[in-house]
Amino acid sequence: MTNSIPEIRDADFLFVTGSNTTEAHPIIAMEMKRAVARGAKLAVSDPRAIWLTEIADWHMQLKPGSDVWLLNAMAHVIVTEGLEDREFIERATENFDSVRETVLRYPPEEAEKHTGVPAEMIREVARAYAGTKKAGIYYTLGITEHTTGTDNVYALSNLVLMTGHLGVRSAGMNPLRGQNNVQGANDAGATPVFYPGYQSASDPDVRDKFSKAWGVEQSSNPGLNLNQMMKVLGTDLKGLYLMGEDIVISEPNVGRVEEALNHMELVVVQDIFFNESCRFADVILPAACYAEKDGVFTNSDRRVQRVRKAVDPPGNARADWQILKEIMDRSGLEQPDYQHPAEIYAEMASLAPKFSGISHERLNADPKGLQWPVETPDAPSTEYLHKNGVARGKGLFQAVDYRPPFESADPEYPLVLSTGRTLYHYNAATQTRRSEGLSGKQPECFVEVHPRDARRLGIEDGQMADVVTRRGRVRSRVMVSRQVRRGAIWMPFHFPDTKTNALTTDAGDAVTGTGEYKVCAARLEPRTEEQPEQVFPGAYAAIRV
Amino acid sequence: MLPKNARREEVLDRLEEQGGLKPGVVQRVHQETGVPEADIYGVATFYHLLAEPDVEVRVCQGLTCKVLGSEALMRDVQSTGTSACYASCLGRCDQAPALWRAHHQEPPLHTGLTESHSGLAIDLENHKKYKLKALQKLLAQGPDWVLGQLETSELTGRGGAGFPAHIKWRAIRGQAETERYIVLNADEGEPGTFKDREVMLRRPDLVLEGLAIAAKCLEAADIYLYIRGEFQGPKQAMRDALTRLQETGLLDGLNWHFVDGHGAYICGEETALLEALEGKRGMPRMKPPYPVEKGFRGKPTLIQNVETIACLPAILRQGGEWFRDLGKTEAGTKLYCLSGHVRRPGVYEVPMGSTMAELLDQAGGVDGNLKAFSPGGASSGFLPASEVDIPMDFKSLRDAGSMLGSAGVVVLNDTVDMVEASLMQAVFFEDESCGQCAPCRIGTQVIRQTLERYLESKDVAVLAHLNEVMWGMGEASICGLGQAAYWPLQSAMKYFPQEFGLEADSAND
Amino acid sequence: MADGQFVIIDGNELSFEEGETLLQVAARADIEIPTLCYDERLSPAGACRMCLVEVEGSRLMQPACSFKATGGMVVRTQTPKVERNRRFLLSLHMADTEQDRERAEDANPSRIFDLADVHGTAGCFPKVEQKRSGRPQDVNKFIEFRPERCINCSLCTRYCEQIEAVSAITLAGRGAETTISTADAKSLTDTTCELCGGCVAVCPTGAMTEKPALAYGKPEKELEKIRTTCNFCGVGCQLDLNVDREANRIVKATSPPPGTTVNDGSLCVKGRFANDFVHHEERLTSPLIRQEDGSFREASWDEALDRVVSGLQGIADRHGEDALAFISSSRCTGEENYLFQKLSRAAFRTHNVHQCAAT
Repeated sequence: MTNSIPEIRDADFLFVTGSNTTEAHPIIAMEMKRAVARGAKLAVSDPRAIWLTEIADWHMQLKPGSDVWLLNAMAHVIVTEGLEDREFIERATENFDSVRETVLRYPPEEAEKHTGVPAEMIREVARAYAGTKKAGIYYTLGITEHTTGTDNVYALSNLVLMTGHLGVRSAGMNPLRGQNNVQGANDAGATPVFYPGYQSASDPDVRDKFSKAWGVEQSSNPGLNLNQMMKVLGTDLKGLYLMGEDIVISEPNVGRVEEALNHMELVVVQDIFFNESCRFADVILPAACYAEKDGVFTNSDRRVQRVRKAVDPPGNARADWQILKEIMDRSGLEQPDYQHPAEIYAEMASLAPKFSGISHERLNADPKGLQWPVETPDAPSTEYLHKNGVARGKGLFQAVDYRPPFESADPEYPLVLSTGRTLYHYNAATQTRRSEGLSGKQPECFVEVHPRDARRLGIEDGQMADVVTRRGRVRSRVMVSRQVRRGAIWMPFHFPDTKTNALTTDAGDAVTGTGEYKVCAARLEPRTEEQPEQVFPGAYAAIRV
Repeated sequence: MLPKNARREEVLDRLEEQGGLKPGVVQRVHQETGVPEADIYGVATFYHLLAEPDVEVRVCQGLTCKVLGSEALMRDVQSTGTSACYASCLGRCDQAPALWRAHHQEPPLHTGLTESHSGLAIDLENHKKYKLKALQKLLAQGPDWVLGQLETSELTGRGGAGFPAHIKWRAIRGQAETERYIVLNADEGEPGTFKDREVMLRRPDLVLEGLAIAAKCLEAADIYLYIRGEFQGPKQAMRDALTRLQETGLLDGLNWHFVDGHGAYICGEETALLEALEGKRGMPRMKPPYPVEKGFRGKPTLIQNVETIACLPAILRQGGEWFRDLGKTEAGTKLYCLSGHVRRPGVYEVPMGSTMAELLDQAGGVDGNLKAFSPGGASSGFLPASEVDIPMDFKSLRDAGSMLGSAGVVVLNDTVDMVEASLMQAVFFEDESCGQCAPCRIGTQVIRQTLERYLESKDVAVLAHLNEVMWGMGEASICGLGQAAYWPLQSAMKYFPQEFGLEADSAND
Repeated sequence: MADGQFVIIDGNELSFEEGETLLQVAARADIEIPTLCYDERLSPAGACRMCLVEVEGSRLMQPACSFKATGGMVVRTQTPKVERNRRFLLSLHMADTEQDRERAEDANPSRIFDLADVHGTAGCFPKVEQKRSGRPQDVNKFIEFRPERCINCSLCTRYCEQIEAVSAITLAGRGAETTISTADAKSLTDTTCELCGGCVAVCPTGAMTEKPALAYGKPEKELEKIRTTCNFCGVGCQLDLNVDREANRIVKATSPPPGTTVNDGSLCVKGRFANDFVHHEERLTSPLIRQEDGSFREASWDEALDRVVSGLQGIADRHGEDALAFISSSRCTGEENYLFQKLSRAAFRTHNVHQCAAT
């Protein structure tokens, strides 16, 4: 996020796109609701009628995968009506003309045909966004989990740049991180392209620096990203070390992943539970959970905060950092005798300028944490970025054109399936499914189907049906709901008994490799034979229409 | 936070339409209005007429009815197998003991009235054809003239507060906001009071003309008539009269909205009434801001009692001075409701400041030996027979530690036990407390419980904490209900200490 | 600040902003006015009457939580009358709920008794008959409403409406029967409730409480609070794990006070209630090694770690280091992710390290 979570309540315009904030980031949604209660305007762009649309001024219910059309059309309105911030464009950006030229080909009336969003609504939202100073964009996986994910992000950032909504409180471009420490894991260099603190792995000087610091010559071979790894499992890749990640639930097209895992020479799983991936493991290492160890997590708004040990881990389980140190020692890379993660953090901070002013000691003193960059021990937290101009010098406009999703609906698979999260479960649900109260509220998987589609297919609310794609078939209970558009269906991916990700496509974004979890072609086959009793009829009372 | 398309103001009406709080109704009203189910349920359970849809008969347990035999009446009703419950006050004290049947056409009531003569502002027995002369005068002379007459008339609010009407009117005219509302408070429910009922039944034209004058004068287009739910007859009389008057064309440009009350005494409090109009639980708002500034929908709103509004035509027709001079100690004539141990209960219009003795004469005298009277509704407490010469006006009664309130005078003879009478009033306040603030909600319970315990044990020790509780209720309650709910008890202890086993002095702190 | 505008509170001349309440002005000057139904995030209810203060020129005391400051206003917060009212109310609430502190605080702490410590009481009033109904049939597993403890402050219903914005609970009934209810008194799980537990967090008396902690039976006051960061989504809510030290057990999670952390006093259902997994019987407690027959057996750390290292090294030797892949988790700490990529890059000289990080 360029801006901070507490700034949201003071925003005057919120553009929430591809984020079911209420369910995926409940506390951020609370801040959004506070802004709306204060009088802020809210525009939601989402194929589903998510909860936020109830209090929204505009719901742009676009067809899945048509984001670029919608966003370029908004930009079209801004440039044709002269609503852009010329001063900002002049001073802080480059390449505006190419975007201008491109978006001129995206008039709202055409966009209406491609997105299903009325042209007049596109105009209203674009005008309101451009005309409000404290106007923030908030997005998440509905933008990025597409083969055009990077395009979508560029199209959004074009809007931010042309309206000058950057370096301003309660504005900016704000991806909401899905997991507690996605930001922190990236910050720490758990990505093939960066060392800690976003120092490029392809930069020889950077590699030199780390070769010296760690006493090991660094490889110049580029690393594989997750999507690439999944495609060469069992072929190029022979050994896999999984720390806290259950790829058999979370990766798209899991059928293929499972097959490939059978061809590995070594699979190590380090986790707190015997997860689905453990079925393919050679060695399983029991780890401590967050309540049993010290360290830091970094949240969506770059806020580094302490994790503190509350209880001892069960049995012989150990903290991941203790396990990793042992493995390095035994691999011949003797590690310092860390007594506490504070020392590990200090080592990372000494190698990453963005964090060099952060230490456990400072974090312990401030219950609000520290937002990086913090480059010196007395530097303050950075609430929002680009306060004094754009970070890379000039903000670069990137013209993007619409490309269709990898799969579209066709006669054989006439529906478009999107997947996502619900409030009551978390990712692979290894933790939440073990809560009686949460499983009680939402015990099983479901697939949302529009009433008209349901009627056409002869499917009743609560009936079982098979969801079928080119990759797989899973059985799920049907929830007839107006939350989804006609022609679209939606499923959560939390439930191990219903492997939603056996359906999704592993076609990935060209740049990030992120899978297209949000669009694939599917069909629905009602099952009439056995109808398992609905465990808890009231479970979805609130969202049923 | 409400969904963008929710229509909260419709909730109460829809609940009533569906027959009150029956299975499935909350969900249906939610689907119809978009208001969250819990809010609808919270609202429905606040109003007795909605919360208890299956009750067929309500037996009044107001002070008058109680002393005149509501318990026996209840036994009679229940013996026929009818589902019945007590109601706080049905506004039929002249028919005591009274009952009310749901969905039942009520027969016309016979009540004692003052004979028609030219010295009356309202004149309930006047049956002459009505001509909207005052309204025509306003249209000719303009709002400033009206405000001048109003000020000269010294008309004060007849709902109980006695606040000068012209100050409210001027405050609204001074608001920058041009969206304004007129609200008629016809949620008459103060035990002992039934004058608004008679005004609406007998002189609806006066009320409607008064409202039209207010609306024209304050430049409001919408008039809300909030009429007690049990008053179906008076409401019909008002509707019929409106149809008649609208034919004159003089009411053009005004929108009339009839809204039913649903069984909550507190909605007679003006801000609670506004909450009810907005489809919420009728809990009084904190003031300031006052309704003249932020009232219905947050806009400047004139809220006026039926009787007050009904005085307007006479004031404009005959002049403010004429009205002022009608009164003895304060301005105008006044409607006094007499019930209880009197021979001819009814609504009597006499000069403001007539004494209690004069009122008793109007009502045919006391039935038995006068022991005490409650001069202006439950909140006014009790005065002893020795105060029978007190002028019944706002100031004199305030000075006597009581109040004129709604002028619902309940007369008690010497068969009444004052501890029991205090308990009857305590039950009323406990039942009708909205429950919002602690001093009133818990305090009314403490009083009722303590009196029950005392009646059972006759042990003075159980009264130990009463003074502190009464002090706190008076000082800390949000609205007038809580602030005055202990007055019956306090005054009874003051004037009849021996009935509470107290020395004359000790109760008098 | 309104130019040259001051209120005088307890003799202190204090400047204020247009629209500020007496409570806000006083708080800035560290003048403490006790409250039971106030929360800075919510619109004031003025219902508890604890914050009544004397305002010159006003016949009745006024609620500081909602009474707006105006220029020249003279306010007194510690007069005998103000203090008498506080004592009266505390006695009144105790009579209406619970008069024994230990029983009152069997689960959550009670603000009534905290305030009584400071202001005293007006003595023990006779116990008031309890007329509030509960929802004993509510099958939700997290939130218990104990009507006998409720003071109708409406903090929970206002939180539910104004912060969580689901309006699952409401004030229901009237007068002494006023209680907190769902629509038709249904189970919370059958309503719009998102089980965030905000009602528990704002409740000053423990009327709203956590079912699992209630069943555990140890009062919150006897638990140790460990401040940490939630391990679910990316908001980074701060929470306090309430730990029974002797039993090495997390009894519940509570939210830090509003205004102190990024989550401003709130938590969602997962942060507050989904910590069962920590003590779940299915936790892995020993290293496991796969045997010839495909089943796992328990192993010592030494054996397991050696097996891992030799396995990784064997592959590096046979296929090159880039035949290894390291996938870490955003669930682990920053330090652990740092060590993990160091393991990949330094111990095994490959950049094949990533984690699930689509945003």
